Parts: sequence; C-alpha cells; structure tokens
Amino acid sequence: MGKSRSATPVPPETSDSCYHCAETIPADYHLFASIEGSQQPVCCPGCKAVAELIDSSGLAAFYQLRTSFNERPEQTALDASYASYDLPENQSGFVSRDDDTASARILVTSISCAACTWLIEQGLSRVPGIEYADVNLAEQALQVRWRDSEIKLSRIFSELAALGYRAYPWRAREAEEALAQQQRRSLSELAVAGIAMMQVGMFGIALHAGGMQGIAEEYRDLLRWVSLLVATLVVGYSARSFFRNTWNNLCRGHLVMDLPVALAIGLAWLASCWATVSSTGEVYFDSIAMFTFFLLLGRFLEQRIRRREMLRQSDLTSLLPGLVKRQVNNNTEEVALTQLKTGDLVLPYVGESLPADGLVVSGQGHVDEAAFSGEHFPRNISTGDRVAAGTLLLDGELSVQVETLGEDTRIGQLLQLTHRAADDKPALQSFADRVAAYFVATILCIAAAVAWYWWQHEPSRALWITLSVLVVSCPCALALATPAALAAAGSGLRHKGIILLGANTLEQLPKIDTLVFDKTGTLTQGRVSILETRCHGDLDTETCLGLAAALEQSNRHPIASAFRGMAVDKSVSNIEVHVGSGVSGQWQSTELRLGAPGWCEQLNPGMGATPTDQGRWIAMTTANQLLAWFKLGDELREDAVSAVHALQGIGLELELLSGDSSDEVDMVAETLGIEQRHRAQTPDQKLSHIHALQASGKCVAMVGDGLNDAPVLAAANVSFAVAGATDVAKARADIIIASERLASLPETLLTATRCRRVMYQNFAWALCYNALAVPFAAMGAIPPWAAALGMSLSSLLVVINSLRLN
Amino acid sequence: MESLYILIPVAVVFCFLAIKLLLWAVNSGQYDDLDKEAWRILAEEERAKPEQRNGDD
Repeated sequence: MGKSRSATPVPPETSDSCYHCAETIPADYHLFASIEGSQQPVCCPGCKAVAELIDSSGLAAFYQLRTSFNERPEQTALDASYASYDLPENQSGFVSRDDDTASARILVTSISCAACTWLIEQGLSRVPGIEYADVNLAEQALQVRWRDSEIKLSRIFSELAALGYRAYPWRAREAEEALAQQQRRSLSELAVAGIAMMQVGMFGIALHAGGMQGIAEEYRDLLRWVSLLVATLVVGYSARSFFRNTWNNLCRGHLVMDLPVALAIGLAWLASCWATVSSTGEVYFDSIAMFTFFLLLGRFLEQRIRRREMLRQSDLTSLLPGLVKRQVNNNTEEVALTQLKTGDLVLPYVGESLPADGLVVSGQGHVDEAAFSGEHFPRNISTGDRVAAGTLLLDGELSVQVETLGEDTRIGQLLQLTHRAADDKPALQSFADRVAAYFVATILCIAAAVAWYWWQHEPSRALWITLSVLVVSCPCALALATPAALAAAGSGLRHKGIILLGANTLEQLPKIDTLVFDKTGTLTQGRVSILETRCHGDLDTETCLGLAAALEQSNRHPIASAFRGMAVDKSVSNIEVHVGSGVSGQWQSTELRLGAPGWCEQLNPGMGATPTDQGRWIAMTTANQLLAWFKLGDELREDAVSAVHALQGIGLELELLSGDSSDEVDMVAETLGIEQRHRAQTPDQKLSHIHALQASGKCVAMVGDGLNDAPVLAAANVSFAVAGATDVAKARADIIIASERLASLPETLLTATRCRRVMYQNFAWALCYNALAVPFAAMGAIPPWAAALGMSLSSLLVVINSLRLN
Repeated sequence: MESLYILIPVAVVFCFLAIKLLLWAVNSGQYDDLDKEAWRILAEEERAKPEQRNGDD
C-alpha cells in the first residue's frame, strides 16, 4: 500500500516543529527524514530513525491517520536491556505458551492516539514469526502471539522500540482488573437501561395519549403490566448501583447524591407497581427508565474521560533491570534480578539503571541521580562510593557489592512512602453530595406536609399527590449537574493535551491557594544545555561549537546532549572519551580537549582560571591555546516566566521545592519571581513540608516530574505531572500535562473555575425547576406525562449548558 | 384491538432478545476498546483510497 498515493503528507503544525513528535526544532538544527519522497524536518536522530523506519515499512499513512503527535522516542533504548525478557524467570506472569506458539500481553505506554494501534499492529505483523498482534487502546495493552522457534520475545520489544514506543511486561494488578470489569458492568447497565427506556417509552406514549383521550381499562392495564415488567428490569439491574451506593454510604453515615436518586427511583417504582396491581392511580415507569438511562450515561461519559491514562506501570520491577551481570569468582554470568542476593558482585550495564543499592568496590563512572535528587549533573562515582538502585549508569565500568535489594532499597522505600502518602491524601466531599443532604431533607419535609394537607382535605387523593411531588422533584438534573460539567470540561482539556486522572480534581482546583513547583524537569527542561559561550582564541563562536559538537557527537554523557544538534566540524578525528574528565580528539594535528577545567589544564597549563561567574564551566583547549569556555546549565522552559506570572496573576502563592542543592535554585527563583524557595530537600522533607502547609489550612497543588516528587504528588490536594515525567510520578498525579507548555497550568485552573461556575448554574437551574414544579405537583396539577417531559427537558438544559465547556 | 395481546408480548420478547444479545457482546469483550474500533473503520477506508483516487484523477 501507499506506493501509488498522490496525497501530499500533512505538513506539521509549523515548519520548525518535528514531523514525528512536534517538538520545537532549534533554529540552527538541520535534520530531515525522507517521508514518501519529501524531506520533513525532525528534531533528533531518534525521531529520524523512527520516522524513516515507518516510511520504509510502507506505513507512512500513519502520519495522515494520527490525531495527535507521538512522544519523542528515547535515545537510550538498548537491545541488551530487552534480552532479560528471554529468561523464563522474567516471563512468568505475562507470557503463556502453547506448543510452538507463545503469546504475551505487553503494556505500551506511549500510545497517543488510535493511529498508533494501527501502526503497531501493522508493523509487528510484518515481522516474520509474529502471528497476531492486537492493541487495546483503552488499556494500552498489546496482545501478541509468535512462533517461539522463529523469533524471541526480546525482538518484539526492540521492534516496538524501533517504532518509537516504550513497552513493559503487562503486570495484572487487581485494581486494573477491577477497573476493566467495572467498565463492562457500566456498559451493560447502560445498554439495558437504554433498550428498556425505548420500550417503556413506547408504552408510555400510548398510556399518556390514553390518559388524555380516554383508553379502555383492559388495554391500559395490559400496557401497565408490560411496562412494569420492563421497568423492573431497569430498577433491578441497571439502577442497582445507586441502591448499593446509597446503602453503603448510609451505613457509614454519609448522605450522597445517590440517596435522592435511589429514593426517587425506588418510590416511583413501588407506587407505580401498586397502581398497576390495584388498577388505580398513575404509573411513572417511563420516567423511571429514562431517568436511570440519563444518569448512567452521564456517569459513563465522565468515567470514560478519566479512564484511559489510569494504567501506568509504576512498580519496582519496571524501574529496575530484569537482567543483571553477576561476577562469581573470576567468571561473569547473566542472571535474573530475582536471583540476586546480598553480597553478590554485580557489573551494571552502561545506559541501564542499577539493580540494587550497594558499595562500589572497583571502577569509575557517572550515574544520573536526577530522578532521586533533582540534580541534573551526573555524579562522579569511584571506589568506595555508595550507589542506589534505579539510578542510571551513564558511562564507565563499576563493580558493585549488593547491600540491599528490592523493597529495602532507597527506591523501594520511596515507592512505599508514596503509597502511604496516597492513602493519607485528604478526601473531599463533592459539592453534589453536600447539596444532596439538604435536598433530600427539604423534599421529604415538603412531601410530608403535602401528604398531611391532602389527608385532611381529600384523603382519597393524598397518596397519589404525595407521590407525584416525589416524582416531579426527581433529582435527575441535579444528579447530572456534576458529571455532565466534568465530562465536558475534561474532554475540552484533553484536546489541549491536559489529561485528568483524579475523580474530584476539577472541583478541588478552584480551592487551591498554594502551588508548589519542583525545579529540575518541571520549571526547567531537565537536560543540560549551553547557557553561554566565551571564545578566547581567534575562532568565532560557531566554529568553537562545531568543534565541541564533533568531540561530543557519539558520547552518551548528559553533558554531550547539550552539544547535540549542532553542525559538526568534520576535521576532528580520533575522538576518545575519558571517564570523569571529558573528551579528546585530533584537530589540525594537535590534541584538542573538552571537559573539566582541571583536566584541560594538564594539557595547557597556561590557560588561565575558570570564570568566576555562577554556573558550571567546561573548557575547550589545545596544548597551547585556550579556545573557549562553555557555561552549562539547565535552561528554563520556554514559557516558564509567563506561566508563573499568569499563576501569580490568579492570586496563587508560589513555592519552589527542589532536591537540587546548587545555587541554581535561587537563580531560577529570582528569574521567575518566586519568593518562597527551599533547596536540597529529600523526598521525606518535601512530604513533611506539604503536610505542614496543609496543616496550616492551605490547599496545596504540586507540580513535579521526578521519582523524588512522587510522594508529594500523592499527598498534595491536586498534583500535576509535566511532560517527560517518570511513570511513577504520572501514576500519582491527578493531572498530566502532555504538552511541553507550562501555560497549561493557568489554563487548567481557569477551566476548573469555569467548570465550577457551570456546575453552580446547573445546580441553580435544577433547583429552580424543582421550586417551580413542586408547587404544581402539590396542588395535584401535574399528570405523569408532564412529569416525564419536565424531567427530560430540565436534564437536557443541564447537558447543553455543560457542553459550553467542551 | 385484541391483536395487542399478541403484538405487545412479541415486542417485549424482542426487547429481551436485544438486551440478551448486547450483554453477550459486552461480556465477550467486543466493547472493551471503544476508542480504537470507532476509528478503525476510517483506517480501512484510508487504505482503500489510493486505488480509487487514481481512477478519479
């Protein structure tokens, strides 16, 4: 397919954004991927590789089909890390075998739209040996079946990585299974209510017409009896969750919105049954079925908005490597992580996370601890240092003696802390539930008064008039007020790349008065970039950067990434990486060094002192001439300043809470105008800081991205995870900001305020409707058809009003 | 009008059959992924297009 297509590819939003992931491409960066014969700009070699692979597999139609942009593929994906999935120990739980074929369930977390499912299915089914591939978009799960004799599981993982998707073994967890069951159940209940509503509605129209024009009693009773049959199905099957919920909450002494709902459905049904059996009074079966259907639909849509991203891999196994290299005597062997014991010597792979906490017994290298400490510069590790599981080994060779494993490691304890913090999270009673209590009390009082009045004056009509008061005051619009507004606001936010996960998030947001930011990766981009270049030789800035880029081009170190994407000077050769110092190469037949000032000084002793300005400087020098100083740092996100000002404009108190201990925390806070700042905070300290704020009566929102933010994200009243956050952080956040824009924060807050306003309007309207209708019902002037009509119209109005938020 | 005594029960039987069918479909997992299925029909069309388009051009 695709060979003869004449359609031109859809151009990316702007010419300076990446064709694959839509990230902004630096102005001086020129990399193109050839897609269907035309050159499309891309932002990094990773995107180029993925885009060209997609094109060469004949799957370029993906770019026309997709409805959202892809995530930027990770550059550190290593085939070695997938080899661990070939070990039988690591396959238990997600792989099943049957003679020659095996099938596995794999979690693919970076699926962004339905076109991704097509791309994955098509891409995998072209791999020889794979028999079947099916992606469930809602669960982000890939079901794949392959012939064991032909390919290995690790190949499937690397194929997924090549297409630009991150994959993990599927770990069935009870919460997720329950969620899937719940989804099926709500859909069944909704379907039954829908079909039954149409059927009862048909009989209802006949009955209403009969009520106005006259109808023979035998046919009226026939219609009533069949309506009773179908409506009973609705009450007994579809509406059972309302009854169960009400009962459970009553047992705990809570009055919830489901109480008036259950009361209205139950009483109307009982009265209608009595009317049918005794052949007197009025029946409300059509109203019951319609009411139940509307409510279930509202809730279903609201839950659907929130469900998709709830499945996140956030347990320990997904953070640690499955396969480790162990040293036994003088041999090395590859074993599964689960077989590792305390005291073992492990040799971690470069580019992978460390498997356990331990002591470095020999070797030297760099580890990236950003996830733990918020420190974006890698730590230099040598013999005698302690390293933690879950930190990334960037370069060098280490031999680590295992001290603690699994749950006892620092990362394991961090996850436990996160779980505990999530359990302690302050619960908020929703506005609807608070209204419900007053509503029920008022309606019951009115009904009692009406019953008493008519009993005095006309006892034969007392029962039916009282019932019509209860039915007319039916809280359909009231119960729809919240879910309709939340669903509309949620889908509106989703279009802007803001994904809601928490249940009461939008209701909580307008109450927020303090917003706490993490620094690294949240306010800043979380990667090293060049902040300043000072040339000292006779070369200009561009040449210096070209030389530096040439030296760093194949280096995996984070500092090297600062120089990535620049035009490379091709005259540099013999590039060598010196762990802990820098890089060297041959240029114009002299040695050229780029790296730590001390190491460069060994080559060129007269190069002078490091600039005294704040920041981290590296030098580039030849043996007799200093060429340039580069100042490295973590750049602020593009719209950080405007977003912070917008938030201050809303009247929020802002704080900066960083694990970083450097002066950069103060610099960032100065630039942004944030007065409250705390640096060098451990996850524990961060958590107690949030608790202290909450104890002083503040309603706190937290914005973060790293592992070390996870406990605070779990504890804050509302939490945001920004683009590029770790999965653990995302799993604990109430809101995920999928775009790179921090402006999404004020946007979300404004939408939440608008959502609250619409909710109040909905409530006001629903109560108004009741205030108007109940007096007429109390006078005995509302027939069943008017009750059904009034209920649907008031609900419709609530829904239309809510749709303004979309 | 006596026919109502047959027609209405028949309608109710059909209604129950429809419910039964839907519940079966839901429980056999056909509605587990509402996003993808809604979209897939468009993808098929998109793939069939090039041939048609050549004819039109």
